[in-house]
Amino acid sequence: MALQRQLLKRTKFGYCHNLCGSSFSTVSSSSAVAGEAPPPQLPPFDHVPRPYNGPLADEVFQKRKKFLGPSLFHYYQKPLNIVEGKMQYLFDDKGRRYLDAFAGIVTVSCGHCHPDILDAITEQSKLLQHATTIYLHHAIADFAEALASKMPGNLKVVYFVNSGTEANELAMMMARLYTGNLGMISLRNAYHGGSAGTIGLTALNTWKYPIPQGEIHHVMNPDPYRGDFGPDAKRYAKDVQDHIDFGTSGKVAGFIAETIQGVGGTVELAPGYLKLVYEIVHKAGGLCIADEVQTGFGRTGSHYWGFETQEVIPDIVTMAKGIGNGLPMGAVVTTPEIASVLAQKIQFNTFGGNPVCSAGGLAVLRVLDKEKRQAHCADVGSHLLGRLRALQQRHEIIGDVRGRGLMVGLELVTDRTEKTPAKAETAILFEKLRELGVLLGKGGLHGNVFRIKPPMCFTKDDADFLVDALDYAISKM
Amino acid sequence: MQGHLARRVSSARNSVIAHRCLYQVARKEASLQENDVSVPKMPPFDYSPPPYNGPSADEILAKRREYLSPSVFHFYKKPLNVVDGKRQYLFDEEGRRYVDAFGGIATVCCGHCHPDVVEAIVNQTKRLQHSTVLYLNSAIADFAEALASKLPGDLKVVFFTNSGTEANELAMLIARLYTGCHDIISLRNGYHGNASATMGATGQSIWKHNVVQSGVHHALNPDPYRGVFGPDGEKYAKDVQDLIDFGTSGNVAAFVSEAIQGVGGIIELAPGYLPAVYSTIKKAGGLCIADEVQAGFGRTGSHFWGFETQGVVPDIVTMAKGIGNGIPLGAVVTTPEIAEVLTRRNYFNTFGGNPVCTAAGLAVLKVIEKENLKENAHIVGSYLKDRLAALKDRYELIGDVRGRGLMLGVELVTDRQTKTPAKAETLHVMDEMKELGVLIGKGGYFGNVFRITPPLCFTKEDADYLVDSMDYVMSKM
Repeated sequence: MALQRQLLKRTKFGYCHNLCGSSFSTVSSSSAVAGEAPPPQLPPFDHVPRPYNGPLADEVFQKRKKFLGPSLFHYYQKPLNIVEGKMQYLFDDKGRRYLDAFAGIVTVSCGHCHPDILDAITEQSKLLQHATTIYLHHAIADFAEALASKMPGNLKVVYFVNSGTEANELAMMMARLYTGNLGMISLRNAYHGGSAGTIGLTALNTWKYPIPQGEIHHVMNPDPYRGDFGPDAKRYAKDVQDHIDFGTSGKVAGFIAETIQGVGGTVELAPGYLKLVYEIVHKAGGLCIADEVQTGFGRTGSHYWGFETQEVIPDIVTMAKGIGNGLPMGAVVTTPEIASVLAQKIQFNTFGGNPVCSAGGLAVLRVLDKEKRQAHCADVGSHLLGRLRALQQRHEIIGDVRGRGLMVGLELVTDRTEKTPAKAETAILFEKLRELGVLLGKGGLHGNVFRIKPPMCFTKDDADFLVDALDYAISKM
Repeated sequence: MQGHLARRVSSARNSVIAHRCLYQVARKEASLQENDVSVPKMPPFDYSPPPYNGPSADEILAKRREYLSPSVFHFYKKPLNVVDGKRQYLFDEEGRRYVDAFGGIATVCCGHCHPDVVEAIVNQTKRLQHSTVLYLNSAIADFAEALASKLPGDLKVVFFTNSGTEANELAMLIARLYTGCHDIISLRNGYHGNASATMGATGQSIWKHNVVQSGVHHALNPDPYRGVFGPDGEKYAKDVQDLIDFGTSGNVAAFVSEAIQGVGGIIELAPGYLPAVYSTIKKAGGLCIADEVQAGFGRTGSHFWGFETQGVVPDIVTMAKGIGNGIPLGAVVTTPEIAEVLTRRNYFNTFGGNPVCTAAGLAVLKVIEKENLKENAHIVGSYLKDRLAALKDRYELIGDVRGRGLMLGVELVTDRQTKTPAKAETLHVMDEMKELGVLIGKGGYFGNVFRITPPLCFTKEDADYLVDSMDYVMSKM
């Protein structure tokens, strides 16, 4: 059932490039020239949200300000009170439906309140929520086995934790313990967590507090769009060698990278980069850690894991976010040999691997397989990217369209040559898209990249609606 | 294995025990006959778990060995496959019931699968599992408000995390940012977590891996039983002053401690300790962090928070474990002034404060209040402690009985003068008690302390069964 769309106030048609040959090409939108056409319509969806009788936006916002601290930020000038979710849609306190193109930051992998996941959580919550690994329980063992089966090489020992930050903390410690070396290498523009240790690996000043961070080296980012060397991986890889040669003892503990940077604005590492760097790092005695917190579980479409798109096999893989469709869970997978270093002392996580989260995680793996979500991401993703590239032809403000599968980024610039970040415009469009019913994400150091990473049940119709909405909103600027 | 005769001390307490009709206390023989009359009987419970058709203990153990970290350990010679939980009881794969006197490590406070908590979890999961704080949702705000109302003074800004480790990491980060100092003082024998900074704060070698852990100074533990100054809190506090005067610049970031050490073996800090130390720390410009991960939420019986038993008001309070009855959740509460520091940069926790966990947290607070769990912890805990103290009068093996409410410890020694830890005996008794259907925990640096931290709905009958079982096992040694 399609919700009643609020028609936007029709503004005078403004400045817009290159309209010739443009078209709103899908069933879900009206046709004709932008500006005269009504705003695009959400694809129909057969779900009625429950009536909401809870606190409204203002009340919730006031309470947040009082009890959750001044550092808690939120999207939108007028924050959005989300009370219900179903598959790729979210509903606000008035029952209005939105297309969730950000999935709670790339987290809701199967879809909000996916029935199979709900079942697993409900059934297990009624039996046993928590006992810890001091006792046996089948859920953690079954999930570990299933997760390991998705991994290449000898990656088959699993640690369960409660977040991506915890996973990366553990991976960093393992690398240091295993190698006996101290230095870690990460990429500028990376994000790996918000704790004191992972803040060191994170390389975006807005996320880094002024605290000691240990021996971490941030190397040149192999950014095909903004990087000095374009897509030339070799020249970026040399920077890693330089850091090792001149900035360390010659030996390092490890290297960590996302294959497609998330918070950094959906930056896909220059092709061939990881292969070169992994070799350099191994020669320096270090381990290679792949942060799959956002790219994992088939989101890239072409592969199950992001690192597979770069044709490497890491020594340690970290994951979180999509692993549980929203359940607080993270994991670190490595080889038995590397894992053995942790056996020298005790390493324990009270909540990690609890029956409910493990059952949920296993259900996620099954849903993704059963519903062939990876192939779906490839299919819908390429359609989405195709349409966005066509949009790029028509709007100067779109500096770059990039990504893979359903991990897509759209960078806005005020000047295509200078690549000056269009921060203000991005913020305005971000708001406009919300009004049109599309919830995007935002990223990049300058906040000028739209991050499009919806639940993996996102359809082509959803993609069309999203692109049409973008077209409509940009045209009206 | 030493066998010794039960030493009988006639005292007023014996009259209580003499009323136990389950078996005769006054037994001189070292070995008892396998006799139904002598074996204690578990209190009745009107619930039958559903039949279990999942993998057996052996199958799970094999999978754990293959797919989980080699540092994952389990209790008992014959590990227990726990598949179902209800209130203060757990059930194994054969449907056999056990009294859970450990509470999943002081975590299950309301009781396993408490209907109110399960209902809150299931209802919220069906509506919206996850969206992040980028959008509003009333669950996080309502829970933050309720939690803040339980804290004294100006402690009313809440940060949600996913574990105690994350909470303590954040607390330490906040303190270091607020003061501009790096040095933190914690207690020997304390446990605060397993990530970079928290591993540093933790004060037991078995939990500390060979990685850099900077900026933490470990003070003399105010241990009334093993400490050099007995129960004189102020004498121990001088060590903190010494550390500051001689080991730091004279200014510190913080002091962090549990009010009753959990992992360290239920050690209640010597009376008068925290007020003296808090004063010292404040003079050195530092913040006082109270780790309430185990002692919080009414477990001590006399107070809601452990720090209240010491008559202090901290600057930052961390919590986890019992906060959600087992759901992965942690929290940091501090003052608005201190919370301000995080506005200097972005701090974000993807899963933290999600609707399901916060709904569960709110349900937990309501259950604690509705069912008077704090009062119950006080009544049953005092009763249990008295019975354990009486047991101590009869068995040389028991060196100390301590704790408060339903956070109790029983330390086993082979010699009461030298206090030599009775490690093997501890394992033996634990294992034998499990055979009788009582699950307790273990802790202390030497692994010779029983940790009794059951769900707070624990009854006097359960307490009797626990003590009678311990009595029975010890009498056969």
